[in-house]
Amino acid sequence: MAMAMATPLRPTSLRNLHLLLRTAPRFVHNQFGSHNTSTNSSSVNPTEVSHFNALASTWWDPHGSSRLLHLMNPLRHDFIHRCHGMQPVPPPSANLRYLDIGCGGGIFAESAARLTGTGLVTAIDPSPEVLGVAQAHARRDPGLSGKLSYLNTSIEGLAKPGSVEEQYDVLSLFEVIEHITHPAEFLDACQEYVKPGGWIVMSTIARTWTSWFTTKLVAEDLVGIVPRGTHDWGKYINEEELRGYFLEKRGWNSPMVMGVVYVPGLGWKEVSGSEKVGNYFFGIRKDENGEFEIGAKSVVWGH
Amino acid sequence: MKPFFSTLRARQLNGYVCQTCTRQLRRKPQRRSYASTSSRTPEIFDVVCVGGGPAGLSLLAALRANPITSTLKIALIESQSLTPTRTFSPSPDSFSNRCSSLTPSSVRFLSDIGAWKFVRGERVQGYGQMRVWDGVSGAAVHFDAFGGAEKEKRDEGGVVAYMNENVNLTAALLRRVEELGGVEILDGERVEDITLGREAEEGDLSQWPVVKLSGGRELAARLLVGADGANSPVRGFAGIESTGWDYGRVGLVATLCMEGEGEAEGRVKTAYQRFLPTGPVACLPLPGKFSTLVWSTTPELAAKLKSLSPRDFVGMVNAAFRLGVVDLKYLHTLEGGQEEEAAWREDHVGFDGSKIPQRVVGVQDGSIASFPLKLRHADTYIGERVALVGDAAHTTHPLAGQGLNAGQGDVESLARTIEYAVAHGMDIGVRMSLEQYMAERYVKNHVLLGVVDKLHKLYSVESGPLVGLRSLGLGAVDALEPVKAFFMRQAAGTGKIL
Ligand SMILES: Cc1cc2nc3c(=O)[nH]c(=O)nc-3n(C[C@H](O)[C@H](O)[C@H](O)COP(=O)(O)OP(=O)(O)OC[C@H]3O[C@@H](n4cnc5c(N)ncnc54)[C@H](O)[C@@H]3O)c2cc1C
Repeated sequence: MAMAMATPLRPTSLRNLHLLLRTAPRFVHNQFGSHNTSTNSSSVNPTEVSHFNALASTWWDPHGSSRLLHLMNPLRHDFIHRCHGMQPVPPPSANLRYLDIGCGGGIFAESAARLTGTGLVTAIDPSPEVLGVAQAHARRDPGLSGKLSYLNTSIEGLAKPGSVEEQYDVLSLFEVIEHITHPAEFLDACQEYVKPGGWIVMSTIARTWTSWFTTKLVAEDLVGIVPRGTHDWGKYINEEELRGYFLEKRGWNSPMVMGVVYVPGLGWKEVSGSEKVGNYFFGIRKDENGEFEIGAKSVVWGH
Repeated sequence: MKPFFSTLRARQLNGYVCQTCTRQLRRKPQRRSYASTSSRTPEIFDVVCVGGGPAGLSLLAALRANPITSTLKIALIESQSLTPTRTFSPSPDSFSNRCSSLTPSSVRFLSDIGAWKFVRGERVQGYGQMRVWDGVSGAAVHFDAFGGAEKEKRDEGGVVAYMNENVNLTAALLRRVEELGGVEILDGERVEDITLGREAEEGDLSQWPVVKLSGGRELAARLLVGADGANSPVRGFAGIESTGWDYGRVGLVATLCMEGEGEAEGRVKTAYQRFLPTGPVACLPLPGKFSTLVWSTTPELAAKLKSLSPRDFVGMVNAAFRLGVVDLKYLHTLEGGQEEEAAWREDHVGFDGSKIPQRVVGVQDGSIASFPLKLRHADTYIGERVALVGDAAHTTHPLAGQGLNAGQGDVESLARTIEYAVAHGMDIGVRMSLEQYMAERYVKNHVLLGVVDKLHKLYSVESGPLVGLRSLGLGAVDALEPVKAFFMRQAAGTGKIL
């Protein structure tokens, strides 16, 4: 956070660059699994934080650089709806709890709080500027009060749930994982916040030649619409890597995926198979009969 | 802009704010400074709909009937009392002079939202075709505006549209809205002022419209819907310009009693429209021996017609469907005695009785009225926390009977847009949530307005090459194949643009 003001960036959302993706042969290169041994206690990359600070002012301008994020937001709900739809027993229709990590200006967090089935949304972001934008914006909708709580923290700073009631039905990571230095450790940290039977849902971008070409080479090196080094293309994660990560662990089931493509003039469209090459949603469900861990000791619950 | 408007910069006022509103807005700075010291907080609603006409009421019924949008907190503001609408109990031998033809797609929508069942069916008249001809050249216009919709015609038992009194529709819609419940109805209350809210401890309403009512209540609207007709105060508040022109014509309406019931037993009736240089005159069937008249003409001639005795008025209406343009001109100059004069002249012109409406034998007392005709199209239908529907968004010449139907199309689209927004947690008031509505309706209505306008202009020409073209049986609309196809689709309710 100390480096927050490092480079003044143009308010071009680096997330938008992800939208430039098209088909390309898959690039197989997996560094996701390799745990880094650095002593860094936070999942948050300071360069990323400064980048998003620069975006803060335009976050809620529907015609600004975040427009594509706004347009994508309904699909996030469609995807969650689809995840819930494949449960053998549907989730409760009221009082669902959401934890939105890396909430940014609050586009998803606000929308989740507005849903009739929502009890509470806790939304966190490590950037104080961005969180300030989110909080100021939420004040413009009196309907959100009491349903939406913002915290300026990273996942590591968030109080651990003390009981199932304090865990979340939906933990969301939208356009977040690709900005995380050590994604596997980060996901490890997320798991205990999810209720048994709850979901982790995320959206990100596949690591392919296309994404390297559009976001690294074109955007940074050739056109220069974002400063060099903004993207760490190596951090992009492919769907099967995520799937592998969760299924290798005990306690996760029902991986879901939905590939989406931005079609100018039409907006975001689901295109099956496109998760292999560009933007995609990934969801995974926590087993209903699992272990609830508090610190080191495990509490076992059943039906 | 005058200095006292400067505080309104954000909501740019412009030429289309009506007199009353301008006066109200001028008072605003004082009210504002007063308001900022008051501790008053407005009541908060998700939807505040100004205007309880066909468009406003069907929007409310649609929102309440849908389980997804039924969670919204809704208020209706209507300056007129709704009691007459609520207690609508008409006599079978009189009909309101404000009737509209409803397309099958409007009827389908009204059924979907559960309102059509409350429309008194015995007061609705389906018709199977519209016979249109050119008053100058005499050529039949195979306008058959609705005849092309063969499939729908079969589906609807030969009916292409339904004539219905506006009040029969609004009464049904109000019953449906009250059956569903959950709408705070504030009728007999004028909108005194619309301002932006304030930033306060509890929240920031500085982007929310706050509607102040004559009764003193203040309603903050997540989404303010202007269903408030052609002079829409909501449109004025939003600073949305509405452009167009006056036709210099009025629509003279009346409820007519005909010599017979129209078509033979069991067959659907026919609507008739004749293009005269002053504008089209239409005779549209109602149940029994009744018909409704819509005669577009100059304000002077309309005033003249209104001043005639019932007998002479009836004589003029009969003449309007039978005599030549020159005869009609002459009849208009007479102080009285039109009936005899017309009868005499009719004996000397040949016309095919099977192609024109039956003879009018009477006009219902007090049913003759006139409305100015204009074309207006708002520059946009949406703003931040504002949406316009129906006549607030667009007004058109009545010659194609599309005004009210276009409003129903707007409402169906807006209700669907709001449903999507609610289902996805969007704030239903922000412009982005409303973009779909704008995208679905604007161009479609623009094409409709343009086509109707061109028809009006085409037939207002009394001489010259256009008339020749018309009389060639190219029948103008025939010549305008795309125009014809357009009306067929409108009638069919597929409503695709050209
Ligand atoms: C002569 C003529 C013939 C027509 N024939 C046809 C036809 O055959 N087919 C067809 O489809 N259409 C026809 N139309 C058009 C049709 O009547 C209109 O399009 C329709 O009534 C519009 O409905 P609306 O709900 O948008 O507006 P309106 O019916 O104008 O309703 C607006 C409502 O808002 C209220 N209001 C206004 N200002 C305020 C305020 N400040 N505060 C509170 N309330 C307010 C008014 O009291 C009114 O109830 C015809 C029009 C004319 C003039």
